[in-house]
Parts: sequence; C-alpha cells; structure tokens
Amino acid sequence: HRPRRLLHKASGGEGALDAAIWLYQFCLIVLGDSTVGKSCLLHHFAEGRFPGPAKTDPTVGVDFYSCLVEIEPGKRIKLLFWDTAGQKRFRSITRSYYRHSVGGLLVFDITNRSSFDHVRDWLEEAKMHADPFQLVFNLVGHKCDLESQRQVSREEAEELASACGMRYIETSAKDATNVEESFTVLTTDIYELVKNGEITAQDGWEGVKTEYVPDAVHTLERAYSPGEHCPC
Amino acid sequence: MSQKDNKSLEEDTCALDENDQKAEDTGPTETDDVEAEPAAMTRKRPESKTSEPSAMQEALDQKVQESSSIKQSQTGWGYWGNWGKNLLSTASATVATVGHGISNVIEKAETSLGIPSPSELSSEAKNVTEECQNSAIASDCKGDPENPSPSITGAFGMFSTISTAVQNTGKTVISGSLDALEFIGKKTMDVIAEGDPGFKKTKGLMNRNSTLSQILREAKEKEEQRTATEVSMATETKAHYGLLFDEFQGLAHLEALEMLSRESELKVKSVIGTLSGAELDALKAELEQLKEAFSLAEFCDDEEDEKEEGEDFTREIKGLFSQLRVSTKPDKLTQARSSACELAHSLSMQTAKEERPKEVDQQVGFGDAEQEEKKSVEDIHASAIRSLAELTAYSIEVFHKTAALVLHGQEQEVLATDRAKALSQMTIVLCKELSFLSKGFATCLTAAGVEEKGDVLNPLITGVFLEASNSASYIQDAFQLLLPVLQLSHIQAQAELTQ
Repeated sequence: HRPRRLLHKASGGEGALDAAIWLYQFCLIVLGDSTVGKSCLLHHFAEGRFPGPAKTDPTVGVDFYSCLVEIEPGKRIKLLFWDTAGQKRFRSITRSYYRHSVGGLLVFDITNRSSFDHVRDWLEEAKMHADPFQLVFNLVGHKCDLESQRQVSREEAEELASACGMRYIETSAKDATNVEESFTVLTTDIYELVKNGEITAQDGWEGVKTEYVPDAVHTLERAYSPGEHCPC
Repeated sequence: MSQKDNKSLEEDTCALDENDQKAEDTGPTETDDVEAEPAAMTRKRPESKTSEPSAMQEALDQKVQESSSIKQSQTGWGYWGNWGKNLLSTASATVATVGHGISNVIEKAETSLGIPSPSELSSEAKNVTEECQNSAIASDCKGDPENPSPSITGAFGMFSTISTAVQNTGKTVISGSLDALEFIGKKTMDVIAEGDPGFKKTKGLMNRNSTLSQILREAKEKEEQRTATEVSMATETKAHYGLLFDEFQGLAHLEALEMLSRESELKVKSVIGTLSGAELDALKAELEQLKEAFSLAEFCDDEEDEKEEGEDFTREIKGLFSQLRVSTKPDKLTQARSSACELAHSLSMQTAKEERPKEVDQQVGFGDAEQEEKKSVEDIHASAIRSLAELTAYSIEVFHKTAALVLHGQEQEVLATDRAKALSQMTIVLCKELSFLSKGFATCLTAAGVEEKGDVLNPLITGVFLEASNSASYIQDAFQLLLPVLQLSHIQAQAELTQ
C-alpha cells in the first residue's frame, strides 16, 4: 500500500467529521530560509494545488495546515503543520514550535546557494529546542523544476543529508514533483518510530498523539446491540 | 430488565423531574410540542468548569484522566503557562450566563451522546435520588410500567432515557426540557431583538483560569471523541462548529495569538517593574488610555443599521486594515465573507424558487445555477454553521497576524492607540457582520422549512443564532488578547523615541 493524502475539504461538515477519525496525530514543522517555497510546498500538499501564479506574501510568524494521510489501508494519520516564517525577525515566534513537533521538512531552494548553506544552522537550532525527542527531518531540495538555474547539485545535497541522518528528496510545488512523497515518506518514517516505541506520545507534548479511547467504541456497541457479539 | 438498569433508568428519569420542578418554579412555559432531543442539536458555548465547586472539579479531573489527549493538550499548552486569569478578566466579551439547571439539561443531553464521566453520572444520580424522595411526580415515573429499552445502558443510557421519559410521562417531563429550549428561545429573541449577538455585557470568561483556546480545544476534542465513537449515527455532528472552526485553523491561530499575548503581557509587566515614580505613573496612564480603546463600550446600543450590505464590509475592513499599517492583507477574511454572503443569497434564491414554481422556468431559462438539487434544512444549517466557523477562524487569523506584525514588523510609525481604535472598530464590524449573516441564514431556513415541523426547524435556527453569538464572543475575546501586544508595542515605540 502506498501512503496517500486524503482530501477532506468537502463541502458541508462531513469533512470535519471525517477528519476527526485518526490513529495518530503528528505535529510537523517546516523550516528553511525565506522564499525557498515552504508555504507553496505545504499548500500544495494540504490543499492539493499550487497557490497560483500570484506572488504570495511572505509568511507572517507561523501558519497552520492540517491534513489526513492514509498510511496503511484504514489507518489514518492526521498531520498538523507549523509553517514557519523564514524571515529572521519572526525567529522568536517560530522557535516556540520546535518543541511541539515530532519532525519536519527542512527546505532549501536548489537555485539559491545560501539557503543550502544555512541547512546546518537550521538543524542546529532545531536540535537546541527539541524536547523530549530529537526531530525527524527530511531534507528537501525545492524548485527542482528550475533545473537550469540550479546552484546546488543533487550529490552535494545527498551527502549533507546522509551526514546529518536525513533523507533527501527533490521537489517542485509548481509542477507537483514529489510533493506528496516528501510528506508521506516523512510520515511513514515517523510512524515506524512510533510503532517501534522509539517515539511515544507524552503528556505535555503535542508532537505525537494517539487515537481516542477504543474502549468507548466497545461500550457503545454493547449498548446498542445487546446480545450481539462484536465481530472483531 | 436487570435490577441495575432499572435503577439507573429511574434515576435518569428523575433527573428530568428535577428540571421539571425547576421549570414549574420558574413559571409556565408556552410551547409544548417540543421534545428533549433538540436541545442536543444546539450547542451551548463551551465553558471552562474550573470555577465550579469541587464536585465538578472532580468530574473534570476524571475526564482529563480518561482521555490522555485532552490531558496532553491542557498541559501541553500549559507549557506556555497559565496566564489566562489576568488577561481574561479584562475581557468584555461574553456568553449569556446560563441558569444552572438549564445548563445541566443541555450539557447532559450533550454528554449523553458521548461518554458521560462516571463521577458526573453518579453525583448527578445522588442528587436526583434525594430529589426523588420528595417528588410526587417522580413516583409517577417510577411506577410507570411501560419503561422500555432496558438494554440501553452505558454510553447512551442518559440520552435514551431522556427520550423514553418524554414518551412515557408526557407533558410534565416535556416542560422540564422546555426549560432548556426556553432559554435558547429567549436567547434567540434577545439576539433578534438586539441584532448584536455577542455584545451583551454579562459575565463570560471573566472568572476563568483557562484560556479561550483551551476551552474551545476541550470542546472540540470532546466532539472528536464523540465523533470517533459514533460516526454512523451522528447526523447532527455534521455541522459541529468546533470541528469546523478547527478545520479552518481557527484554534491554531487563537493559540498562537494567546501565546503572543501572554509573552507581551509578561514583558509589559517586567518593564513596569523596572520603573518607579513619575515615569511609572506616566506609563500607567498611557497604558490605561490604550485599554480604554479596548472597552467597545460605545457599541453597546448602536443604532439599527440594517441597510448596509454588499461591498461595504470589504471596503470597511480593508480601510481599517490599512490604518493598522501592517504588511498583511485580510483577503482570506473578505473572501470568506463574500462567499458566505453568496451562499446565503443563493440559498434564499433557491427557496424563493420553490415558493413560486412559475419563476423556476424563467430562472432556468436564464441559465441560472445549474438546477441545484433541493437543499434540506439540515444542509442549509450545515452550510450556515460552516460559514460562521470559517469567518470566525479567519477573523482570529487576522488578529494573530496583526499581533505578530505589531510585535515583529518593521512598521512602527502608527501610534498604538490608533491601531487599537482601528482594531476595535474592526471587531465591531466583524460582529455586526456575523449577526447580519446569521439573520440571512435564519431567513433561508425559515423559508426552506415552511413544511417542516417546528421541532425540526427551530433547533436549527436557534443553532445558527447561538453559533453566531458564540462566534462574536470568540472574536471579541481574541480582540482583547491584542491589548498586551499593543501595550508592548507602545512601550517599544516610546523606548525608540527616547533613544
């Protein structure tokens, strides 16, 4: 089974109803220099489309997205994203969100050398503020549709990624290359860590949450179908 | 029927009698063709229970233990501290305070759809048993031989017994639940009469310890929990405001705004702590002046200006926003409002068509709206609630962004008091708009539901008004969170001046 994003922005309230059912909830942060395309990438993933040709304003402070991913048939994970501003002046705001993340995407622009050079700084900052678990990051080389303007080679980026224990993936929100993959791969990795108990939900930590009391379901079934046995 | 079931049924039925008694105490009620269930369709604004006596506290604690996620969220955001008290005590925004008995009814109906906490039930049951002993009506219902559905216990016990009791004991019990409806109806009347849902000056968030987002989050999680356990039959959940508000990221923005507000408040306090004498007095006076801009007092009895419509809102909001001089635009907000208006308009067109079938042909002839299928009143209700949630969420997003830019933007040439005035005006415009929209939707519902029974239609209409009223309160509460932010920016601007 290939993990896939579930679009739930249906009209009416069914979407919201539907979105309330999940096995795990992960909070993910998206980091990187200003203008590397974090918001576009996220917008594309969560809303299913590129925000449009109009030049978007830089993110103010932090933005929020959420969506559902079906990781295995019938097993859904709700993803909450902190879309952070790349601009330095908002750093004090964005810093607050490291702690409540389980992982994230570290994005740079393959046509912008300095955004790549800052990757280690971002990692360093994330490391400093992560608690109780170190964040699981994927390195994303964004805007790979602009091959002719490339300033960072794939090899170079892969080297850095493996040195820092990350996967590397190249994406383009514009022509929808690897957008979904970049998120589902990360989600799958975190899901495995959670399943193996390497990351666990903790009180006072938003990063990972587990589903709602399954007991209630049984109580409900008993209440509704007396004498009938639960098939599972 | 087991002994135990029987007992709990009796107790639950008596719970209604308790309210029934109250209803009789407060005088006669007018309508009697309404049942208990509709109370569950509408939603009382979620309130923090922290100020309740210890029994409630226990119940709350237990709830927290029961659901690890709720606990997480509380302590999780508690990471940023427990600060709500001071700040919220300045909040002027409110909910109608609900009589105790009435809120119990609504709450019970609500929680019984989900999972009532055991301690809540048992303490309720205890009260009720005492009540039963003095109650003649109670013995009536005890002796009722036709008390059915012994099998329905557990999660749905309460709910089922409410309806059972309604069937069995007839008018007396019904008037008990009418207590709740009477409140809602009264509230609705107030809303209609005033046209300004959120602006009644009553005690709302004032004495609370938790933040608004915590309250809303709890309500949302309660709803999620409920949803997760009863997907198949939760029809009224279709339009749950809290879930929709969260879907539009309203909760996330509210939490972010609270965080900025709290940080600012701390900084303002620490600055005040370093000052003394004349400097301190001067600053205090200035901050007080800012605070006045947040009182919204002049709005309370505003003239009825029903006329404004169309582009006014967009123009007004944009104008006010430009006064703030922050580098963000309220486009999402104005778009959400436009689509809400379009929706209300197209719904009223649809219902108009139904009323005059002759016009339908003409309309279709114009190629107007590809023969939309007829929308049920539930659908209209769902879209209305969705629109309200969307508009509220985006309003709060605008406030959050404004706070971030006021604190970290580069534009400081605007006086904090001017920003405060613009923001306060914006709050008023937003709340008026919510009121205006809710009336529009209510009109659609009334028109579409001419053939519906009152007990189907009325809860939907009151639901729209209640959520509009709640929305307005949330916006006003969020507005209040901007006060420390502007205070801090004022202090920063002063500091820059003196340098």
